Amino acid sequence: MSHASFPYAPFELRGDALRDAVVRYASNPIYLDNEEWENGDNPYRRQLRPQVLRYLDFDRLPGRDRILEYSSLAAQRVLTSVYEADLMFLPKNGLKDKWEDFQQFYSSTNRVLGETIRPALERFAFGFLDQEVEVSGKWSLESFNEYIESLNADASAPASLSEEAISSSSDRERAARMWLIQFAPDFLSEASPMLRNVLGHYGAPQSEWFKIIIDEYGYGVHDTKHSQLFERTMESVDLQSDVHRYWQYYLGSSLMMNNYFHYLGKNHELFFRYVGALYYTEATLVDFCRRAADLLTEVFDGRADVRYFTEHVHIDQHHGRMALDKLILPLIEAHGEAIIPEIVRGIEEYRVIQDITDKDFAAQIRWMDKGPEYKKLHTPVWEAISSGRVTAPLADIVEPYGELSNTHSHEGDELCHIVSGTMKFVSGFDSHQILHAGEGTVIERNRLHGAIIESDECVYQIHSVGDYTQCL
Amino acid sequence: MTVAGMPYVYARTAQGAFVMPARCPHRGGPLHLARIGPNGRQLVCPWHERGVSLSRLRQEVPAVRRGDLVTAVFAGAFDTGAEPQVEYRPLSPDLSIC
Repeated sequence: MSHASFPYAPFELRGDALRDAVVRYASNPIYLDNEEWENGDNPYRRQLRPQVLRYLDFDRLPGRDRILEYSSLAAQRVLTSVYEADLMFLPKNGLKDKWEDFQQFYSSTNRVLGETIRPALERFAFGFLDQEVEVSGKWSLESFNEYIESLNADASAPASLSEEAISSSSDRERAARMWLIQFAPDFLSEASPMLRNVLGHYGAPQSEWFKIIIDEYGYGVHDTKHSQLFERTMESVDLQSDVHRYWQYYLGSSLMMNNYFHYLGKNHELFFRYVGALYYTEATLVDFCRRAADLLTEVFDGRADVRYFTEHVHIDQHHGRMALDKLILPLIEAHGEAIIPEIVRGIEEYRVIQDITDKDFAAQIRWMDKGPEYKKLHTPVWEAISSGRVTAPLADIVEPYGELSNTHSHEGDELCHIVSGTMKFVSGFDSHQILHAGEGTVIERNRLHGAIIESDECVYQIHSVGDYTQCL
Repeated sequence: MTVAGMPYVYARTAQGAFVMPARCPHRGGPLHLARIGPNGRQLVCPWHERGVSLSRLRQEVPAVRRGDLVTAVFAGAFDTGAEPQVEYRPLSPDLSIC
């Protein structure tokens, strides 16, 4: 028998190998650009824009100040696809002509390629939380209880920035629909990340965990399943409810919120962070859902089916208590106070992401509402460029009729200038400006947008001005 | 911040950040101005050059930082109704790394 040691080399993917692997994964035909704005009852189609991925650096860890840049949106889109290969999706109206996409999405090659790049993309997507949250000191059950009490998580809270943005929007129904679209990745497959911790064997808390999931899944009665309630909400305000129909309208932060729970659930070494994040989200959801139900009822003049939210107002009072009394405290008793810092970290990481998501959505609604103003800003910015007062990197682009630039964002402000033809510039769900020759628009950094050509041909220029206010 | 008569600061060292008392347990010297000793395991108080274990200081106050906001738990410290006092205290270079 040999006693020679075998050096252990952890798996790691970096540099060109990482970039090539990401592009290889995203080059699957189901991930290529779409010719339509929406995916039609096809849960396997997710536009990952592989043609751009080779230019992104996933080795660099963005700090919070750069977490809304396109690289992060791209990483969150890819991670959503990787995580959801573990979930079962079928089209509402049957597989029919989607059989090939179904096979591709669940194929071994798609799953293996995804798993290969997942750790590096998780590091890129969530590594900033290492800088944002730091737990220190020796925690005891007593100090943990005081900390939990100080959170006051189940107290009434004022309207969030997102809710204020909807209330004050120039098109409140559009803003509210955009809001519901952001929840769709989570709510249409609700509690799926939680199910990742159902398997295994870890004592009584495992059964408590399962009880929460039983509620989320409506006790086997399909019409009470929470995802089904959310489908009714979407349909009641003239949205469609098939999975990822509105993929192109998801903000990076919305995907980040949903992916965070997949990240915690997929990596079981982060179980105790998940327990903390679960407690905080369940405890705060009660008040959030109360406000959401009121807001949607008001905006849609009573037409919105808000049972999804009113059901949570009730059941999450129990879930918050269950997460604390039946999960967290027994886990601390069984495994010791050493797990407390991880639980605290989960709570605070969730709060960081919640804050990012809230601010990002509010900024997107402002961007959508101010579409006509950004169009008007073309005149002074174009004057600064055409007069030579400002010089900026330039891209000349010629596209044919129907060419759809799938949604994306840029790291700096840009000016889109139409030389000839007509472009429909899209800045969010049901939000657009028509741009003719000689017109254009300022594109604000980090704001989601796309475009489609509406003339036989469109010649246009993109001037990367960086900060458009310097051109005024 | 002063809690129950004891001043505390948030120290950021190369090995991590933590809440620690700003007063040396020896004679009450300004521990927030202490440098890390050559062995890297002690804070050396500027008054009498007495070493205080860093690992012990790290454990003393449970805390969590989210962004620029630090939440520290002083269990039972406010039972008497006394409010914490917030005041500025400079930190030595070793305690304000990042």
